Amino acid sequence: MRFRKAWFGVLFTAFAVLATACGGSGTGTPTEESGTLTVWLMNGSAPQAVIDSVNADFTAKYPKVNVKVEIQQWGDIGTKLDTAFAGSTPPDVVELGNTLVAKYAAAGALEDITSKKSSFDNSGTWLQSLTDSCTVSGKLYCVPYYAGSRAIIYRKDFFDAAGVQAPTSMDDLLTVGQKLMAAHKSDPNFSALYFPGKYWYAALPFVWDFGGDIATQSGGKWTGSLNSDNSQQGLNKLLSIVGPLSKADKTGDEAKQDAAFAQGHIAMIIANGWEVGVITDPKAGNPALKDKLGAFPIPSHNSGQTAPVFLGGSDLGVAAKSKHVNLANEWVAMLTGQKHMTDMATVGGVIPNTTSLLSLGTGLNAVFFNAAKNSRFVPNSQNWAAVESANVLPDMLVKIFTKQQSVADATSAASNRITTILNGGG
Amino acid sequence: MGVAITAPELEPVSRRPGPLRTALFPYALIAPSILMIAGILAFPLAMLIWLSLQHYGLKELIQHSGEWVGLQNYQAIIADPLFHQVILRSLIFTFTCVGLTLVFSTLIALLLLKVRQLVRVIVMSSLVFVWATPVIVSVDIWQWMFDYEFGVINYLLTQLHVGNFIHHNWFDNPVQGLAVLVIVVVWGAIPFVTITLFAGLLQVPSDVLDAAQVDGASAWHTFWFVTAPMLKPIFLIVICLSTIWDFGVFNQIYVMLNQRPSSDYFTIAIYSYRESFGVTQYGLGAAIAVIMVIILVFVTFFYVRETVKVAEIA
Repeated sequence: MRFRKAWFGVLFTAFAVLATACGGSGTGTPTEESGTLTVWLMNGSAPQAVIDSVNADFTAKYPKVNVKVEIQQWGDIGTKLDTAFAGSTPPDVVELGNTLVAKYAAAGALEDITSKKSSFDNSGTWLQSLTDSCTVSGKLYCVPYYAGSRAIIYRKDFFDAAGVQAPTSMDDLLTVGQKLMAAHKSDPNFSALYFPGKYWYAALPFVWDFGGDIATQSGGKWTGSLNSDNSQQGLNKLLSIVGPLSKADKTGDEAKQDAAFAQGHIAMIIANGWEVGVITDPKAGNPALKDKLGAFPIPSHNSGQTAPVFLGGSDLGVAAKSKHVNLANEWVAMLTGQKHMTDMATVGGVIPNTTSLLSLGTGLNAVFFNAAKNSRFVPNSQNWAAVESANVLPDMLVKIFTKQQSVADATSAASNRITTILNGGG
Repeated sequence: MGVAITAPELEPVSRRPGPLRTALFPYALIAPSILMIAGILAFPLAMLIWLSLQHYGLKELIQHSGEWVGLQNYQAIIADPLFHQVILRSLIFTFTCVGLTLVFSTLIALLLLKVRQLVRVIVMSSLVFVWATPVIVSVDIWQWMFDYEFGVINYLLTQLHVGNFIHHNWFDNPVQGLAVLVIVVVWGAIPFVTITLFAGLLQVPSDVLDAAQVDGASAWHTFWFVTAPMLKPIFLIVICLSTIWDFGVFNQIYVMLNQRPSSDYFTIAIYSYRESFGVTQYGLGAAIAVIMVIILVFVTFFYVRETVKVAEIA
């Protein structure tokens, strides 16, 4: 009897070990792992060559795992993510815009990877703003992926013809713009600085440069601060520049600014580095502008300094409901590792996730890479996404630019709304 | 004096089904339809009402369990000043769209009776073409036409010396912007209503119209006192359907305004969507949708009652 019991024990243990090894969640040897890993990346984030290279490396290590990379569109991604995370089989890896992470992390949609932080390449030198966006209540919920920071793209030929140089202060920006407007006064469509009314990413540098902010946190409570004296000063400065220099739609957004720039009636736009490619695209843009484009950082109101810019970008998170958490982390580690981040910077031209690779920016890209060093972020609250969805900042800017409200009234209304939403009100 | 009537005692016929089976038979026949309607309409509506009584944010959505809050969502909506504006805007927008749709559709339908066969075929084909075009595609084209920078409308109006419309923003002023949206909605609604009314007009007996003419009735009088009453059932149905469709309008506004309409352009459907998916308050969004259904029931009650009356007379 005792002999039979012992055999049962041995068999049971062996079976348990085998079952665990075949589980496909990363506890077995890489060659034994199997299953399908679903990855959602956003449109335009990584060049196909980089994705292919990551998948090749991953398949070499995990030959039986099938990686399915699905490209998502930015419009309405929030709705899609909500429903995907609510389902029982969400994608294993998800690229999230850095302003969205807090919302999903706080709702329990993302895996807590705090204990694994050191296993990711360059985690000690990740861009601070991106790391902040991944950190909710002191825990890490995603890995910084890439960043985008804005600078001013300008037409060198227009500047030369008008006899002006890249401006070194906000006042100088206005003076340079006015000279350009004078040089093109026969063109009724000409904008020295094209600035669509809803372009809040480009308005924030003006707020921050004067010491203002969107909201401040104290004792766990948020207070909207766009109505502070400093914020209002920045917005008034912006209004004084945009008013005489821009013919852009005061109620429009920045979606069409590259197409508009390519038409040749604009001297400057505030844009991301990758937009140079859109402007000079043979199909959508004007390739003839390739050698006529320059870039300089958004100047500060203090001469010789630059204004802090909004650091946009994306992070990579692993779904808490994923059946392949370890494999998902491994895939994320590969894409965000030294090898592929180098490719992202050199092939993709985007700002990599680590300060150690910022020197890879060359030519025009160098201006944008450097801008990331003086960057800021939106309030890191789980409710920030709701502020964005409610269009609080674009609506405020439209009211200011169309003169429907004064800067004081518009900022006061927006601040109250931001205070309510960030503190959990609808 | 009452007369007692006693039913004759009949021998049960063995081949005929029993009284219970006879009584249940019609229900059995109708059961599949009832089940289908319950599955498609009643169940989602019941779920919607259930959801509207809960606090259901993103966290609750992911965990599949909401927090029961009773009527709090409804109280929050009714206290929101934005909601009152939205209701008023939606009602005005709906009545404007339905009114214009009816006027234009009736005129086109009447015109179709008068024109040559070839013209009729061309007009009908154009109407079907408009109707068959997917909403998103047609709204995208409208958006290009009314574009601030590249729009053909601004170009044409300037060329025709109506005024200086270069860089004219149609959506700067919400009244003007909503007028543009009314045009887009009415344009999309005309084909169905026109074709339905035209089919109805073909049924109006020509001898009645001839008699009216002989009696000296003017064209307007003929239409108002002869044709319109005969078309009343069809008018009621198209008014009822148009009201439901136009009250719930979403695609046209959402796409025209680049998926980011400001609160000046919120109709009730946009408002519900914004609360549900925009700020992830699904309970609140559901409550708005329920209110929308209740308002629609009230608004369409009159038409439905009239339709039933007409059907009874017929």
